[in-house]
Amino acid sequence: MVEPVNSSLGKMLLEEVSPVVMVLCTPLVEETFLKNGLSFVETLKPFCNFSNIDVPVRTSGDQLYRLKKFMLRLFNAADIRQPNVEVAKQRLEHVITQAGEKVFHDLKSDPPQITDILSNSESEIAPTWFQYYNKELIRTLSFSDHEAFDHPVACLLVVSSKDEDPLNKFVDLFNTNRLPSLLNDGVMDPKILKHFLLVHDNQDATTERTSKVLSEMRSTFGNNECNLLCTNSSKEGNVEHQANPWASFKSSVPAEKLGCALTGDDIGEIKDLMQEFASRHIIPYMEQKVRDLNQQISATRKGLRNQIKNLWWRKGKDDIPDSTKGSIYTFSSTESQIRILGDYAFMLHDYELALSSYRLISTDYKLDKAWKHYAGVQEMMGLAYFISDQSIKEAEYCMENASSTYMKLGKSGFQNATRCGLWWAEMLKARDQYKEAASVYFRICGEEPLHAAVMLEQASYCFVLTKPAMLHKYGFHLVLSGDHYKICDQVNHAIRTYRSAISVYESTTWSHIKDHVYFHIGQWYAIVGMNDVAVRNMLRVLDCGNQSKSTQEIFLRDFFDIVKKTGMKHEVVGLRLPVINMSSLQVIYEDHRTYASQASALVEESIWQSLEDDIIPSLNSGKSNWLELQSKLLPKKYKESNVCVVGESVKLDLEFRNPLLISTSVTSVSLICELTENSDDLKLVEKETSSLSLGTEHNQVTTSGFSSFTLSEVDFTLGGGEKKLVRLTVTPSEEGVLKIVGVRWELSGSIVGVHYFQSVPTKAKTNKAKRKNKLTPTDPLKFLVIKSLPRLEGSVDHLPDKLYAGDLRYLVLELKNNSESPIKNLKMKISHPRFVNPESHEEELTPGFPDCLKKGPEQNTVQRETSRTSVFEFPKDVSLQGDRSLRWPLWLRAAIPGTISLYFTIYYEMENVSSIMKYRTLRMHYSLQVLPSLETSFEITPSPSRLQEFLVRMDIVNRANSDSFEIHQLSTVGCRWGISLLQPVDTILPSKSILPGQGLSCFFMIKDCRKPGTEEEKTTSILPSQTDIKLITQDDDEKLFDIVNSPLASFHESERSCHGTSDQLSPNTVDFILISRLAKSSNPSAEQDLPKILSHHSCHNRIRSSIPLSWSLDGPKTMYHDFSTSFCEIKLKMVIRNTSDGFLSVSINTIDGLPDAAAPTPSSGNLSGWRYVPAITEEMKLTSDVMRSRLGKPPPSMESSPPFIWSGSSSTKVQIQPLSTTEIPVQISVFSPGVYNLCSYTLTWELSEHENASSSTSSGICQGYPCYLTVLQSE
Amino acid sequence: MANTACFIIVGRNDIPIYEAEVGSAPKREDAAQLHQFILHAALDVVQDLAWTTSAMSAKLPSFLVVLLNPLYLPGSRITSSHFDTKVRALARKYL
Repeated sequence: MVEPVNSSLGKMLLEEVSPVVMVLCTPLVEETFLKNGLSFVETLKPFCNFSNIDVPVRTSGDQLYRLKKFMLRLFNAADIRQPNVEVAKQRLEHVITQAGEKVFHDLKSDPPQITDILSNSESEIAPTWFQYYNKELIRTLSFSDHEAFDHPVACLLVVSSKDEDPLNKFVDLFNTNRLPSLLNDGVMDPKILKHFLLVHDNQDATTERTSKVLSEMRSTFGNNECNLLCTNSSKEGNVEHQANPWASFKSSVPAEKLGCALTGDDIGEIKDLMQEFASRHIIPYMEQKVRDLNQQISATRKGLRNQIKNLWWRKGKDDIPDSTKGSIYTFSSTESQIRILGDYAFMLHDYELALSSYRLISTDYKLDKAWKHYAGVQEMMGLAYFISDQSIKEAEYCMENASSTYMKLGKSGFQNATRCGLWWAEMLKARDQYKEAASVYFRICGEEPLHAAVMLEQASYCFVLTKPAMLHKYGFHLVLSGDHYKICDQVNHAIRTYRSAISVYESTTWSHIKDHVYFHIGQWYAIVGMNDVAVRNMLRVLDCGNQSKSTQEIFLRDFFDIVKKTGMKHEVVGLRLPVINMSSLQVIYEDHRTYASQASALVEESIWQSLEDDIIPSLNSGKSNWLELQSKLLPKKYKESNVCVVGESVKLDLEFRNPLLISTSVTSVSLICELTENSDDLKLVEKETSSLSLGTEHNQVTTSGFSSFTLSEVDFTLGGGEKKLVRLTVTPSEEGVLKIVGVRWELSGSIVGVHYFQSVPTKAKTNKAKRKNKLTPTDPLKFLVIKSLPRLEGSVDHLPDKLYAGDLRYLVLELKNNSESPIKNLKMKISHPRFVNPESHEEELTPGFPDCLKKGPEQNTVQRETSRTSVFEFPKDVSLQGDRSLRWPLWLRAAIPGTISLYFTIYYEMENVSSIMKYRTLRMHYSLQVLPSLETSFEITPSPSRLQEFLVRMDIVNRANSDSFEIHQLSTVGCRWGISLLQPVDTILPSKSILPGQGLSCFFMIKDCRKPGTEEEKTTSILPSQTDIKLITQDDDEKLFDIVNSPLASFHESERSCHGTSDQLSPNTVDFILISRLAKSSNPSAEQDLPKILSHHSCHNRIRSSIPLSWSLDGPKTMYHDFSTSFCEIKLKMVIRNTSDGFLSVSINTIDGLPDAAAPTPSSGNLSGWRYVPAITEEMKLTSDVMRSRLGKPPPSMESSPPFIWSGSSSTKVQIQPLSTTEIPVQISVFSPGVYNLCSYTLTWELSEHENASSSTSSGICQGYPCYLTVLQSE
Repeated sequence: MANTACFIIVGRNDIPIYEAEVGSAPKREDAAQLHQFILHAALDVVQDLAWTTSAMSAKLPSFLVVLLNPLYLPGSRITSSHFDTKVRALARKYL
């Protein structure tokens, strides 16, 4: 902490609380000094400040002390009056305006950094004019009537030797009429020290006259009181002073002019004069006066008696009205005398005496309720405490007291309060109590905006100087101050304060604050004509999305107004309107991978890769990819860039977001690109991009004059808060290195927004590169442009996006190569071979679809070779070039319901092109929505009566939502199974179509057409039996569909392989194909998109049976026998088939003599045993339960059966191999004609995994089922 | 201005993470920015207090809930409407 005396307040007090010398001079004196461009007072001023006057002083006590620093204040008599308030105000305003003009040129520079501010010391932070302003502010209170330190101590009477009758002039000068009114009114003591000075102008006065006048003066006024001052010794008046002593006092005149007629001797003389005047006259005079006053006051006021008297006397004055306005104390009153004593003591640096005097008078004033006087005394006490380095608390208390007392006085006291505050703040600053100082400044802001502005600004600097710095408050007070400056039209100052405030708020996320500061400073810069700076600041508020709509409109309107004023296009890097979402950046480009559509480009690379694995030739033992191939051909530096082809556009998707509530139209959005030739000028590009300077035209090639790429331009309008994904393209037209540097756009034609992509990690399709070298990620925005190549375009015509499951379509894949160079070796791979099946040759269908699928007149049963590879290779002779397009037929069948993504990838190779790229792939992606349609399920059960026949139950459910279907045809696949109807077609489905949600069950019979007993599947030799049934009746000439040939057969193959599991090997399975059509009436519109036929494939339907065997009793149904000769022996054959995969052992037990085997009904000689035997229909469920119940309670018809005897062995056991048949001969004997039910046997079976295995896995007993034999008496 | 109050929760580095204006008085156009300025300036005092007193953190249990949320990213805005209603309810209670 600095010593109080050396602190800035100490200096201020020395300047402000120092003896006043009243100067009275004649016009000729002034004239003499005006030759130097200075008045008399001004000439003397620099020499009134004595840094070490070294005068011994003794005041009240006996102690002598030496006065070091001392100062005199010289005033012309005319100036000794209370300044006019209005004039003072104007002068203050002038100070500020002048200061504002000085700072104008600094405003252009960038705002100061916060770190700089913090590292600066106090004097560097606050502008220097503040001190001057504060001084001026304090001066507005000079010569107030409640204080005494402005009272003149002495009077300097100056007369020129050129004056006529100089002695009289001296007398005249001190004429009471011409003295300041304050002295005449009795506020100030007119009896002051007088000193007489004769001025001799060396230029035009004679020394004789001067010496004569001087001697006269000395005799009249006394020897000591008279002095001679010779001046203007330089005749030419061109003296130049090295360090001009007047320069700091008078700035309005050029410094070199000041004192031009004064030589060094003259200055020395002035110096000596003032030194002598101060030390020999003023100080002794003041000393004397202090001693006198002290004595006088001690006599009247000190001691107990005097104090009581004083108190009593004061009490008597209680009823005197409170008179703060008019001065009730004249200079001669005791109170004033004490005050004078205090002030004189203060000025003579005897602070103890000053304090005791002030204390004494302070209670008096308080009792008198003379508040202004009281406050003034308190103020002085505070200062005295401070300067004498006494109690800090006391000092502050006094200042606080003074300040609040002044404030209580209202408007009249405010000025005083201000001065008091300034001193108080300085006092606090000297003690490093900056925070408190700031609050003092804040207290004295007052209502006048300009004054408040200065005070707030001073407060703000205090906050910086606090430890730790209170930057938030610093910023806030600067903003407040700036607003006040703006109110007074001090725009320069307003900008200055806001500029400093920006250093605090620069990176703030407090949006309202940021918007306010930048918007206003921008506006103000525009007012002072710095439009470019204004635009720069205003740019920061453009993304004011959190503001109200009206505010946003104001912001934008003002912004564009200012931009227009500048009259040029502004290129703004990092413009936040609209906001660019960098994470949305996606680069789509084609190297060897080309895409048929937007959708296919967005598919994940890994899907394509897995699809293309088989068809892309693997170079160098399959480990390398095209990148490595390149590395052999290209310099290493290109290795990391992506590849694109001349004439093929690179697309870039970028999302723009409008941060505002108001809609914004963005025009001319395009990419910023650079294309350099392949040579070594890569460095040049780097340099160009790194500079990023304003106004650089990037969209040019650095090496050649004309543009070697074309850019797309997009215009769009973003509504409030809207986001838009915009596609931008660049198409290189030359080989080289293409770099996408950024994006640019225009706002209302005058602002060009530029956004540079700082090589951000993007979602660009660089998976290959990623996989290969993770350590050096490629720059996704840098491309190696290679020579133009053929590019295949392809599409699948009429691909529906919505179709029913089973829908079979005929489609055409159209491929086109627009380039002149041909391509060859086309290969295609499809992600879902189950859905799409390419035709084997390029042919238009002759009969059209779907008739082409129907069976022709000649049955072509040639089986298609089923070598199904996943890659479809186009014939070798297919080569595409120029305008010719290749139309390749495709079959589409919607195999399963759901959303299906179909991926096609077509590989092709370039012919005649010497390029680093030998092949390319075309990728196509289509999305299908497959709706559920008919669902079929089959249940196959063995026929109870016939070994090779099976009963099929087909359940159909229509799962579609709205459409109904007709069923057209049911076929079994392969030649093994013949199918036949069990009921007329009409009765199956009388309504002809299956409505949505409807279910249907119908029955068929299938027959195994293989030769019984043979296990080989050599069925081809057998005459083909009926494998298809037509399920429609209306048009009989309609042919059946051919399921043996492509595409139905091949689709069936796919279905089979899809469903094929462990069942695949089982031969006892049946595959069905149901062909249906959309009912014609259901959807009259959209004829084009209607499915023609639908095929439903059901594969590997197993024959269901609970027992692992089936058997039948074969033999004659009717026999004639002559019973008269012998009983009849009938040979029968039991055929047992093992339908399981295991080894079966079966034992047959015959039962003779049923318990209720009654005697045969008396035959009437003829057909006594005849009765109707119902045909065993296929509806019968051949479950063993039914059989058992039947046996338990035989039908009545059985009871009447005549007896018969099993005449063979009663028990036979056989082993049957898996899936094989065996025959066992059995024999019965009948004794009379009749109808015999041959059901009295049981089959006991045991199933085991292995032959001769001891343990069986399952076993059971089957009852024989009815088999009727009619035996008749032969004639 | 009589009955409005502005409540802002400030995260590290003076980043406001939650703002609410409560009160019934008609909104003035510049109220929001005034509030921000005043509260921003008050941060100096808050910073001082944060070092000297421990009463700050414990008093606000419902706010801690937010900051304890593992999904909360420090420095990001609190956008939960539930939190908003809670704050406003508290404000009505105490203002």
